[in-house]
Amino acid sequence: MSVLGISIFMGVYYWFSRLRLGYTFSSMLLQPVTMSVFVGLITGNMELSMKIGAGLQLVYLGVTSTPGGNVPSDPALAGCIAIPIGVLANMSPEVAIALAIPFGVIGVFVDQLRRTTNAIWIHMADNYAEKADTKGILRAAFLYPAIAGFIIRFPIVFIIDYFGVSAAQKIIDIIPQWLMHSFEIMGGILPALGFAITLTVIGKKKLIPFYIIGFFAVLYLELNTMAVAIFAICIALLLGLFKMKEEVV
Amino acid sequence: MGNNKIENSTNKITKKDVTKSMWIYYAGAELSNSYERLQSLVFCASMTPILKKLYKTDEELSAALKRHLVFFNTEGIIGAVIQGITISMEEQKAKGEDITDDAITGIKTGLMGPLAGIGDAIIWAALMPILISIFLPFASNGSAMGGIMPLILYPLITILISYYLIHNGYTLGKKSVVSMLHGGKMKQIIFTANVIGLIMMGALSASYVTISTPLVFQFTSGTQIVIQDILDSVVIGILPLTAVFVIYTYLKKKGPNYNRILLSVVVFSIICSLLGIL
Repeated sequence: MSVLGISIFMGVYYWFSRLRLGYTFSSMLLQPVTMSVFVGLITGNMELSMKIGAGLQLVYLGVTSTPGGNVPSDPALAGCIAIPIGVLANMSPEVAIALAIPFGVIGVFVDQLRRTTNAIWIHMADNYAEKADTKGILRAAFLYPAIAGFIIRFPIVFIIDYFGVSAAQKIIDIIPQWLMHSFEIMGGILPALGFAITLTVIGKKKLIPFYIIGFFAVLYLELNTMAVAIFAICIALLLGLFKMKEEVV
Repeated sequence: MGNNKIENSTNKITKKDVTKSMWIYYAGAELSNSYERLQSLVFCASMTPILKKLYKTDEELSAALKRHLVFFNTEGIIGAVIQGITISMEEQKAKGEDITDDAITGIKTGLMGPLAGIGDAIIWAALMPILISIFLPFASNGSAMGGIMPLILYPLITILISYYLIHNGYTLGKKSVVSMLHGGKMKQIIFTANVIGLIMMGALSASYVTISTPLVFQFTSGTQIVIQDILDSVVIGILPLTAVFVIYTYLKKKGPNYNRILLSVVVFSIICSLLGIL
């Protein structure tokens, strides 16, 4: 697909995934790792797309799990810009991640704008309720916010992606070695942020040793992720069994 | 309540109606979310197929719709049980039982907090990162499966939970939640999910947080000390683990100041790159 086509697709993708149609479906759709499947399909470079998506996912793992639905950073905007540009400019995942970070921050303001404009529809719904117009209420809950969302979101991604590819290629050529290496360091450290956030939302301090077990199961026992998942499920179920008994007694 | 429904009522709510209500709520739980009343609009929208059937005059229907436009917010999957209970209450009310507006609103607002807590802990803090992390290695190797599997499994599992809960809430009424909140069963599920989640996060941290130092001390006698080798001989992965816990401690102390940490990491990386420490 041409850069124009890809930019249009990503603009629509950003709008649709952030529309949040389908509560848990849309929240998975806006994750970098699922987004990169679609970017891989339209750019024809699935491998690089998935690698960038996986790297970016690690940074934002845990962001969506923040209570109250207030996003502290937006993986959707970051991904819709950094993954296609990264793939088209043939960036290493580390550089693409560094590119994504500022857009993740901007995305928060875009979402605040959406929630503010959404207040208009609830007042329309009040009027529809007065008239017992159930169709009107459904329109206010679905159609109007969707249209407003498109106007807010589509242009941002479309413009940045369309002009960004050629600009990104030029910038990559002139990046000095020390800055390149900073990106690599950043790419190594940033996942730590994703994990730290997940740790704060998942758990009580008492449970942290389970995290340490997982960490060293990979480094010392050299288990792969699937093996760890299987053992984790068994350990959790068995412990639950003992814990139940204790509470009954 | 709820068990002795009158069978020969013409306005009987069918299982299909309840499921339809679930789909509307699932589709739009976040879509029309506003700062002013959060999920109230979608909750009201999800009640429309029910209310249209129950209330035949415009005045009654209008009153019922307005009843559900009041402030409402919860976690959208576990929160389906509130919908189920509300539907059964509306049905009782339409049949002439003495249920006030306040009783319905009271149940909704009373339950939305605790259920949001449970939902956030299970659906968002545990299930989502666990599913992503199990398939993440596929993505790192360049395989589309890493994205496709979570995109299928997460909605599938959560919709099944919603479906079970809304019908359970409808048939059992308030009882369904009482057993849920006080049976210790929920605590059990949250504990199990947390343990799995934490172990998985640990495993992923080990693979994906990659920090190592190129520092080498060269002595005049010709011996050299490679710092990374020394660190590895003490504990493998000490630098990545330290990074996670430094950020974790900061988050615990200063709250979720995400952007400040991001900026700090950027600055820290550039300095370490220039100094050649990392």
